[in-house]
Parts: sequence; C-alpha cells; structure tokens
Amino acid sequence: MATNIPANLKYTKEHEWTLIEGDTITVGITDFAQSALGDIVFLEVPEVGTDLKAGSTFGVVESIKSVSDLYSPVTGEVIARNTDVEGSPEKINEDAYGAWLIKVKMKDSSEINKLLTAEQYQEFCNSSH
Amino acid sequence: MTELFKTQLYDEHVKLGAKIVPFAGWDMPVQYTSVKEEVLAVRNTAGVFDVSHMGEFFIEGKDAEAFADYLVTNDILAAPQGKAVYSPLCREDGTVIDDLIVYKLAPGRVMICVNASNIDKDFSWMKSQHHGFDCSFTNMSHIFSLLALQGPKSFEILKPLLGDLPDLEYYSVFETTFADSPVILARTGYTGEDGFEVFAHHHTIKALWPKLLEAGVTPCGLAARDVLRLEVCYPLYGHELNDEINPYDAGLGWTVKPNKTKFIGKEALAAKAAKFKLIKLQLEKGIPREGYSVLNAQNEVIGTITSGTASVVLNKGIALARVKIDKIPADDIFMIDIRSKNYPAQLIKKPFVTGGHK
Repeated sequence: MATNIPANLKYTKEHEWTLIEGDTITVGITDFAQSALGDIVFLEVPEVGTDLKAGSTFGVVESIKSVSDLYSPVTGEVIARNTDVEGSPEKINEDAYGAWLIKVKMKDSSEINKLLTAEQYQEFCNSSH
Repeated sequence: MTELFKTQLYDEHVKLGAKIVPFAGWDMPVQYTSVKEEVLAVRNTAGVFDVSHMGEFFIEGKDAEAFADYLVTNDILAAPQGKAVYSPLCREDGTVIDDLIVYKLAPGRVMICVNASNIDKDFSWMKSQHHGFDCSFTNMSHIFSLLALQGPKSFEILKPLLGDLPDLEYYSVFETTFADSPVILARTGYTGEDGFEVFAHHHTIKALWPKLLEAGVTPCGLAARDVLRLEVCYPLYGHELNDEINPYDAGLGWTVKPNKTKFIGKEALAAKAAKFKLIKLQLEKGIPREGYSVLNAQNEVIGTITSGTASVVLNKGIALARVKIDKIPADDIFMIDIRSKNYPAQLIKKPFVTGGHK
C-alpha cells in the first residue's frame, strides 16, 4: 500500500504523526490511518489545559462505520486544538498532514526518542499489512 | 478457522481494489472507494452490490404457496402472483428466526430469499415443517448468485441490457433471460431507492456484472448498504431482530396477519403485546453506535441502540434503538451515552431519509 510518509515527522505505532518544534509537539493522524479509516465524520479532542500521558488515549476519531481511539505520543499539556478540523473532520481525509489535531507542551522531551522515524514507520506499515 | 466462502465475483472485487472483510462466513467487499461516494451513487444515480452470499430456497408443487404462507407471519396467499412479500419467520413461541422475502414466481413456484448468516438455520427449520405439504423444498443458495442494482437510474440502465424489461411495480418479480440464460428479476432492494435484485446462476451474474460497470454503475460494498438501509430504517437481523424477540418488539406488527387461518407462531403472537418499541433517534453532535445506552431526562437507562451510524445524506448521527415500552418518556427527551457523556437525541417519527422507490 503506497502511502505518504513525510521524512521530517516522527510517528507512533498507533498511526499518529508528530511534528517536534522545541518542547512543542503537533499531533495528527497519518495518511495511512485516514486511508484505512475511510470517510472521517467525527473528531473528539481534549480541551486546552488537559494533561496527557504518553501512550494513553486522548480522543476519538470516527469514520462512518468505525470508532478509533487516539493515543498521545508524549506526556504533557494540551496548548492548542484545531477547532477548524473538529468542525470539518473530512479535512483529515483531504490532507492528513495539514489537518493537525492538537499541540502539546512536552513535559519530558526525552520521550521523543521512542517515536518512530519515517523509515521505521514505513517498515511498520508494510509489516502489519 | 474454517475457510470463508467467496462469491463468484471475488476476483473482480479484488481487482477493483475493494476492502474485503469476513461477513456471515463469507469474504465480502465492504467498500471499494469511499462509503460516502457509494451511498450517494445509490441515492443519486445507481450502484450495484454483490450480495451472492444471501440464500435462495425454492418451493415447487401444488402446495407451494400454502407452505410458504404457513411458514411466515405475513400473508402470502392473499398476495397476487408476481408479487414479493417481506415477512418475519417465527417459531411457535413467536420469536424471530429470520426476516426474508417470499417471491411468488408463478402458480406452484415460490422463491424465498434469506439472510446469509441464517441459511442453515432457516433451511433446517423450514424442512422440519414441510411434512403434509405437497411440494418440493430445495436450498439453491450454492447455485445462485445475486446482484442488487439500486438507485434512481436502475431501470434505464437495466432495460437495454435485458431487452425486454416491463416497468414492474415495486415489490414485484418476473422471470426473464439475460444472454439466453434465465434470470429472476425482482423490483426489491435494501436501500429505499428504486432498483432490482437479479437472481441467476453464477455464469449469468458473472456476465452481467461487467455490463453494469460499463454502463457507469458504481460498485458498492456492505458498509454503504448498511448506511443506506439504516437511513430508511430497514431492520437488520442480528441487530433489530434476533432469536429472543418477537416481531411486535421490532416494530414489525404490520407483517403479522393474525387473521390468517394457520401459521407458525399464530397462537403465541395472538397473546403477545409489544414489550419494546423500536424508535428512531437523530443527533446534532456525536455518532450513536450499536450497544450504546439510551437515557431519559432523569438519566435512567431506558433502552439500547441496535444500529447506529453517521448518515451520509443528513451528515448527522442516526440510530434505531430498542426501548422498553413502559419507559418511553412522555416529554420526548432522549439522550445517548457516548463514552460516558450524554448527547441529546431527537425522536424522529418518519424514516431519516425518504428513498425514491416507486
């Protein structure tokens, strides 16, 4: 399955992408994930100020026929949510890497070492399908 | 794990890039491109579903209609020849074995189309009731394939392919040919739109499928089919219907004809009143899913969602819910518990979407 996996991002095995800028991390779901889900119709993300724990669920993305949890790549505090995408979740299908979901201020930046590189994520996608 | 059955068109679905999932013991296409596009194709133009997993039984002989009439709760004898009749199939105690369509093909010739997941259960039940009727009863599921062509353009697409296609009434059936092979053509479906179900031997269906695609028909998967049937509030066995409830509990009282002289379940159903009501709920925000609880204004659980989805046409959450009849709130205030948060839901009286069938 050919998917778009930008080299400048880091990834999780739960198919989130992350953009790391200093101690701020922007989170979305990958092109592979949006394609597997199909038409996305609902998005639930936490309020600004919510504390997240690495690996725990922080929200939900729903396609017409499925409900999938979103997993926080890092521990930290939500400092922004993309209300534009919440109102029009189909934007995730249109541009998975443009339609970010939340921005998190990281508590422990060493956690980013656990994230996958683009090559590792590509390999993960290939091996799991 | 036992190997799953594949329809005769399996390779075609794979070639089209369909996502294949196991369903009722079959490897079935769940979607080709996008559920949304497939739903809209059926609502606006035409889509085709390979539903060859469904079962076909034939009853032939002098008592064919009488046997079919005895098996089901709806009135088969009263229906004219050439008509299709939707009905539950019940046990003596009134519980629902399956829901099905009885097709009156010709005097002494009846076809019954049943759900794929219930073929064996239905056939052995019906066989056990067959004694005393002067007719044959045969499971032909393995030699028949079935395509459902659905959508407002169905007639104009199918007519040139079949040459001879009368403008059949909705829920009627007739036997014709395609490429010199027999086909049973019914103006039925599971989408609320106009359309045809084409029952034929495998080789005939394999020849028809590419002709439909060439004519611009969109191949549609089971996911779109489920959204379409839920938008027009058709029940699905295993969700709105099951082995434990009777037709009254599923809003199917109209399919039980207590004045028929005899049918299986007559006595039990005559003594039954509905304990549940199947209601339609619509949400401005949030998507209801099967199993979610329905609450009243006092936060009391009064029922359960039996099917829920995002409606493609309305772009809103829609659901059918089985609610205890004595718990239906007089104030019409309903809420749905979605991940421990209560979302207000509006009670809808008519189907969410009005299909365009004749």
